[in-house]
This record gives sequence, structure tokens and C-alpha cells, in this order.
Amino acid sequence: MQGSTRRMGVMTDVHRRFLQLLMTHGVLEEWDVQRLQKHCYKVHDRSATVDKLEDFINNINSVLESLYIEIKKGVTEDDGRPIYALVNLATTSISKMASDFAENELDLFRKALELIIDSETGFASSTNILNLVDQLKGKKMRKKEAEHVLQKFVQNKWLIEKEGEFTLHGRAILEMEQYIRETYPDAVKVCTICHSLLIQGQSCETCGIRMHLPCVAKYFQSNSEPRCPHCNDYWPHEIPDVFDPEKEREAGISKSNKRSLRSRQH
Amino acid sequence: MPRGQKSKLRAREKRRQAQEQPSGLVEAQATVPEEEESPSSPSPHFKDVPQSSPATGTPSSLQVSGRVRSATTTAAAVSSIRFNEGADNQGEERPKASQAQDTTQHWPRGPIDKKVVMLVHYLLYKYHMKEPVTKADMLRNVIQRYKNHVYEILRKASEHLELVFGLDVKEVDPNRNTYVLVNKLELSYDAKPSDDREVPKTGVLMTVLGVIFTKGNCATEEQVWEVLNIMGLYAGRNNFICGEPKKLIAKDLVQERYLEYCQVANSDPPRYEFLWGPRARAETSKMKVLEFVAKVNGTVPTAFPPHNEQALRDEGERARARAAARARTAALASVRSRAIASSSSRPNRV
Repeated sequence: MQGSTRRMGVMTDVHRRFLQLLMTHGVLEEWDVQRLQKHCYKVHDRSATVDKLEDFINNINSVLESLYIEIKKGVTEDDGRPIYALVNLATTSISKMASDFAENELDLFRKALELIIDSETGFASSTNILNLVDQLKGKKMRKKEAEHVLQKFVQNKWLIEKEGEFTLHGRAILEMEQYIRETYPDAVKVCTICHSLLIQGQSCETCGIRMHLPCVAKYFQSNSEPRCPHCNDYWPHEIPDVFDPEKEREAGISKSNKRSLRSRQH
Repeated sequence: MPRGQKSKLRAREKRRQAQEQPSGLVEAQATVPEEEESPSSPSPHFKDVPQSSPATGTPSSLQVSGRVRSATTTAAAVSSIRFNEGADNQGEERPKASQAQDTTQHWPRGPIDKKVVMLVHYLLYKYHMKEPVTKADMLRNVIQRYKNHVYEILRKASEHLELVFGLDVKEVDPNRNTYVLVNKLELSYDAKPSDDREVPKTGVLMTVLGVIFTKGNCATEEQVWEVLNIMGLYAGRNNFICGEPKKLIAKDLVQERYLEYCQVANSDPPRYEFLWGPRARAETSKMKVLEFVAKVNGTVPTAFPPHNEQALRDEGERARARAAARARTAALASVRSRAIASSSSRPNRV
């Protein structure tokens, strides 16, 4: 890192461990990231005060910058939960997935991705995806197999499934936004509020502008008469709630209590 | 030839491929020029890249990787690293590139430094895949025309990996130039109870290592299962935290070189035994494993005198090896710092 003009942060074992674990998990929700951070401090530097998460991550990112890697923060499109993933900036393809999937599986993902991006709702039906199974590169895949592969994508947090339809997981958006915008420049949709890639969201029925659900929640937060920011027409959709991390934490604590009762002395 | 579905489909595919990253997924379709714009994200645009000669038509990295069948996915992961969108495209004018250059980080500068970054990504990828890397792999997939600088590039990449990720590049097979990334950070078990999200299979591994150690450094498969069964892990039964135990211990952990699983000589029907793998020897110690076994049994290592003695002897040997390594590193570091001091006087640094 010699010769870098930017002031760089300092890496200690706390940060390294954090990076390793974040890499292992692929994507984590903010609450888990905070736990992870505390764990790393506990393991490597008990006496130190835990840095504020934002500073902690910025510190690491300043060191990662010269390696074209970044801890990216995003927000899930459906309920606005903050998520974090370690993203390779120099890569603009789906190569992150390449380590876990075979050639035909990756192609299936790509087909699903295209359908999702082209769709109006941001969802592609299982049927439509499976119908493309004959067009896949690589080894021949049967529909039954393809169903399993789609489930693998869900388990690995690349896709989300809702009632037989698939959309992109927040992780996929974080990792592939650049790739998607470059590969499908005409088909991509963008949120009017945050200007990021939009897969799921609400749209104005008059002028067609779109907004992410969490962006809608924030924008119309205390507004009893929500109107389209572009054409001022009445906003016809239900306004979701803004994500509340406090409520999340309570729910999370009761979840982890259950888990620790189940876990064994390994 | 009747114009029909087939040709329409092909045209659509061609159009799509033309828009796509050449190494979009797996088969690196080498010759496609990239037309995309790079919007907000800080994608590196460097014009000063001599490595891919536009004259040859295809960026050599993509061509080579497209052909290597066994490393197809690997190659795609690597070749998709784009630093030089401007230079790679035959005749594609990129006024944007120079704009972006001013705002980017000043390191990496030269082509070697870019290869260092690519190698870092590649090694991390292999680490994630839990696959060892050979020098040949690195040359073919990353270094390519800079093969005269392979050790320099590898050394710099190792430094970054160590500094930033706490991962050590270790040569495991000098005859075949095979390397593996090893986690330098000590495996710690004090924090275990509150955080069972972290690599839960480590508990299973420690248990198996414990069985092997306490059975005289070699345990039969039956002996291992006896203990795992007590913990509620059964072959063929999927466990919530660690998956299917048999696959974990006889396959995954073996592949990761933590364990060795071999057939007992002349056994018929075949019986198997477990031994410590080279990675377990590198990443933990007999004493640590004994401490784990003791803790689990609610006691201390000294409650197992013969094993405790063995563990202590092992500790002694390790301490001596560490001291020797430190001496070597110190010597290397002073050489390195001298080299850096001389290189920082070079004019092209800002």
C-alpha cells in the first residue's frame, strides 16, 4: 500500500477476522454485522472499545480500495433491511457466483435474471424460467433439475422466491448492479428517489416513475395524502412502514435465544 | 436457406452477446467489443495499459481462459476483471476513461500492480473454493505475459492478503509449486457459545481431531462415530448447523486438508481411519485440541497426563519453529524495506 495518496486506515486482527467472516457469509444483515463486529473484538482485542460500525467499515474500505474490493451496504427491496456484502469492484460479471455453480447453472441464472429485469413487476415465474431450460449452455438440464438449481439460488441468497415467482435477492443487486446496468441498459429500471437499480417497487400509474418500497416508505412517511413526486397525481399504492431496527433487534434476540438452547456443546 | 426461427434466435443471441461482458459467465466469448457505459460506481479506467495489445484483436487473457476447460469457471472469474475497458476494445473511443482516471486511486499504477490486484482476487476465489493453487494456474489465469515477474507479483499479492485479510500464502508442495491460503488468525474457542453462526463445523472438526489425538494420532471411523453419535450427529442424518456429518468429515474436511481419511490396509470389507490433515497441523495444535477436549469434558488438559505430555512436547517444537520463522521474516522484512525505500524514490509516485 505504499505510495497511496489517500489516508488509509489501519488493519488489525479485529478487522481481518471481520473481513474473513463477512467473506464466508457472503451477505449479512446489519444486525448480524454488528454481532460479527463485536465477536471480532471479543476474540482479538477485548480491551478495545468497539468502533461505531460505520467508521469501522469505512476504515476497512479505505484499505480495500486499492484492491478494488469494497464492503457495500445496501437495502433489501421488499422491507428495507440494511444488508452488507463484500463486493469485487473490478469485476462486472456474475463471476462471484462462478465458484459455486456449474456452467449450465450460471446460464440458468442469467436467463432468470433477464426475465426478471424485463418483467413489469420484477418477478419472473418459475414456469417461464423453466421453459428456457433447453436454451442453456453447457450440460443438458432437465426441468426437474432446474427446479433444484433455482432452490439452490434461493438458499445461497441470489434469488428470492415468492409464491412460485422469483426476483433478485438484495445480495445479487449489491454484487451485480453495475453488471446489470451495463448489460441491460435499455431494460433496467431505476428508482426516482435514490437513483439505484430497481427490481421490485411501486410505480405511478399516470407517469410511470418507479420507487423502491423502502424509498416510498421514507418519502411518504408522515404524509396522509401521498402524491407522485413527478406528476403530482394521487399515489395509488399502500405505503409500507419504514424499517425499524429496534423492533428487529427484539425479534432477533428472541430468535437467538431459541437457537442457543438448541445448539450443542461442540 | 429459409429465414426462420433459428436465424432470428441466433440474431437475438448475437445482439445479446454483443451487449454482454465477453466473460459474462463462463465461456469467455473473447472477441466482443464492449459498448457499455460505466455510470456512478468507481470502476477503474486506465489508459496506460500496455499489456493487451489492441493489434492482436482479442485481449489475450480472455482467449486463453476460454480454452481451458477444467478451469473454465475459474478463468471466467478472473478474466472478467476489467481494468482497462478502453485499451481492450479495438478502436472503441472512450472519452469517459480519461475523466474517470483523475478521480481514481493512484495505486495500482503499472501493469504489474494491476496483476497483483488480479492475483489477490484469484487467490481469494480459490480460497473460497477451498482449492489449492498451482503456479501453473496463476501463470495461465492471471500473470500471463508477465511470467518473468511471477514471484514478485505473488509476493506482493501475499503481502496484501496477509495485511488485509490475515491469510497466509503457504507453499504446500514445493515439487509441484502448489500453494494454499491459510488463516493466520488463531482459531479461538472462547467466544464460541454466543456465536454459533461462525463456521459451525469447526466444533465438529475439533471433536474429530480430539478423537484422533486421544486415540494415539489415528482413529478408526467407528471410534469417531461413537463420539459424534453422543453429540447427536449421525451419518446420513442432516444436521441443522453442519449439514450431513459423514460428508462433512469424510469429504469436505478431507478436501480442505484438515483431515485424512484412508482405508485400513488389507481390510475387507473396507474399513477406514482418520488422521490429522496437514492443514490441521498448520492451523491448530495438539494442545489447543486437548484444551478443547478437556473443556468439553468439564476438566483440564492435565487430567490426561500422557496426552498432555505429548501436547507440551508439540508446543515446544512449534515454539522453536516459530522463532526460526520470525528470524527469517525479520531478515526478509529488512530486505523488503530497503527495496521499498529505494523504489519510493522513483518519479512516478505521487
